[in-house]
Amino acid sequence: MNQEYLVLNHISKKFGSKLVLKDVSATVHRGEILGFLGPSGAGKTTTIKILTGQLKPTSGDAFVLGKDCQKIDESIYEQIGIVTDISGVYERLSVYDNLKFFARILNVPQKNIDLLLKRVGLYEHRKKPAGKLSRGQVQRLILSRAILHKPKILFLDEPTSGLDPTTALDIHRQLLELRDEGMAIFLTTHNMEEATKLCDHVALLNEGVIVEYGTPKEICLKYNQNKRYQVQLTDGSFHLLKQNPEDSRLLASWIQEDRIETIHSCEPTLESVFLEVTGRKLQ
Amino acid sequence: MKTISFRKLTAIMDIKSRTLFSKNFIIMPIFSLGFTFLMRVLYKSILGEAAGTMTAYALSIGVLMNICMSGVYCVAASLAEEKEKHTLRTLMTSSVNGLEFFLGSLIPAILMMMFVNIACVFLSGFSMNPAQWAGYLFISTACSIAGAIIGMIFGIFSKNQMSAGTATTPVLLIFMMIPMFSQLNDTLGTISGFLFTGILFDAISNIGRQTALLSIRSGVILTAEILLTVILFLMLYKKNGFDAD
Repeated sequence: MNQEYLVLNHISKKFGSKLVLKDVSATVHRGEILGFLGPSGAGKTTTIKILTGQLKPTSGDAFVLGKDCQKIDESIYEQIGIVTDISGVYERLSVYDNLKFFARILNVPQKNIDLLLKRVGLYEHRKKPAGKLSRGQVQRLILSRAILHKPKILFLDEPTSGLDPTTALDIHRQLLELRDEGMAIFLTTHNMEEATKLCDHVALLNEGVIVEYGTPKEICLKYNQNKRYQVQLTDGSFHLLKQNPEDSRLLASWIQEDRIETIHSCEPTLESVFLEVTGRKLQ
Repeated sequence: MKTISFRKLTAIMDIKSRTLFSKNFIIMPIFSLGFTFLMRVLYKSILGEAAGTMTAYALSIGVLMNICMSGVYCVAASLAEEKEKHTLRTLMTSSVNGLEFFLGSLIPAILMMMFVNIACVFLSGFSMNPAQWAGYLFISTACSIAGAIIGMIFGIFSKNQMSAGTATTPVLLIFMMIPMFSQLNDTLGTISGFLFTGILFDAISNIGRQTALLSIRSGVILTAEILLTVILFLMLYKKNGFDAD
């Protein structure tokens, strides 16, 4: 069975004369989370719209579950779920009725709804009108609607943007569970901590170009040219040591003398890599 | 050719029915019913026994209001609300196709209009024989369909409910006021003869006078307007989908 659920081959997209995606290529496999990491306007949402058949690329090919994105029809949405920052809910309907409506559309047994509501932590709010939910609860409802039909691929456009840390952590936990169940997840974010924590692979996107691609660890280590170590001694003083013979001897002596309280390597984060590669901040 | 899933169609009809019965929208058909009854009461108090001749007029006004407000406005505002709350895109990315959404949106609106059109007959005190009922149901249903499709066209261009209200108001005034005042001014009478609402207004008067429902000219104009509305909608839908943005 083909495990490549999403394929982007040299995708470019122009709006008028403005090129917003330039020769973007990536692949997402079953049970994998790919993060598109970049600042606002980098082309992340455009990529999702191309992959979900809402926009046509100017050049290049995109395939979702083996089907050419330019030839897909609405039936593809029975196998994919989409969460964007403008995904809506029917505010007059209760939480349960929102899911019941989409369960009818997607031919999902209604008995699955309660299980899903318990999973996303909305069961006790199931009778509440969706219009009276908090922002975090609405986002949970949108996520539960997107995974209601157990899609093979989940597209998430800034899923935790503007949410409180507790809700964001809860959503992260659920995404990792879904990945472990075999779902392929395409995630866009400008939150480098989220990308590092969740993504098996990340693509750093800047002005429509993928400037780096790999696992978060690979990318960070690739740019770890000037190795440094932050040391806190037992007397409370902090020291930043470089990878050179002189500092190595100093470090060895501190270890021998048992003077080290804490020691940390200072490899770059995705944020600092992005800054180094593009000269821009992520947020 | 798009296929229609009955399951999805009934789900959309269900959600659209709930929308139409929400307080933002249900006021429109209630207003039409109330106004029809009020006209009947007023004519009776002013004209006494002679008020019977004015029941056709009361019915015309009620049906006109219903088609314009429940048809044009409610359909436009309901589509605009889907865009405003971002549920339209969610629906379209949940395997619902355009034809299912179109029919699922229109059928409840048209059924509601037909119900109100029938209720208006009883509230106005207008009496008809079975043949007149058949003519009335035919013309009022045809005009309800035209009104709902016009509402859909306005909905395509409205970003939110407020803009739907702003965009439809002048059109509603034209569709409602010109037939209402057509008997007071020759120019308005001529213009009214070219509006589907004007033709409906005249047809109800003809039922009251027990003359032919429609002239050939009116029938041709009505058919042409309904076809034109459908063609215009299809062209706009093909170009923009349900969202002109």
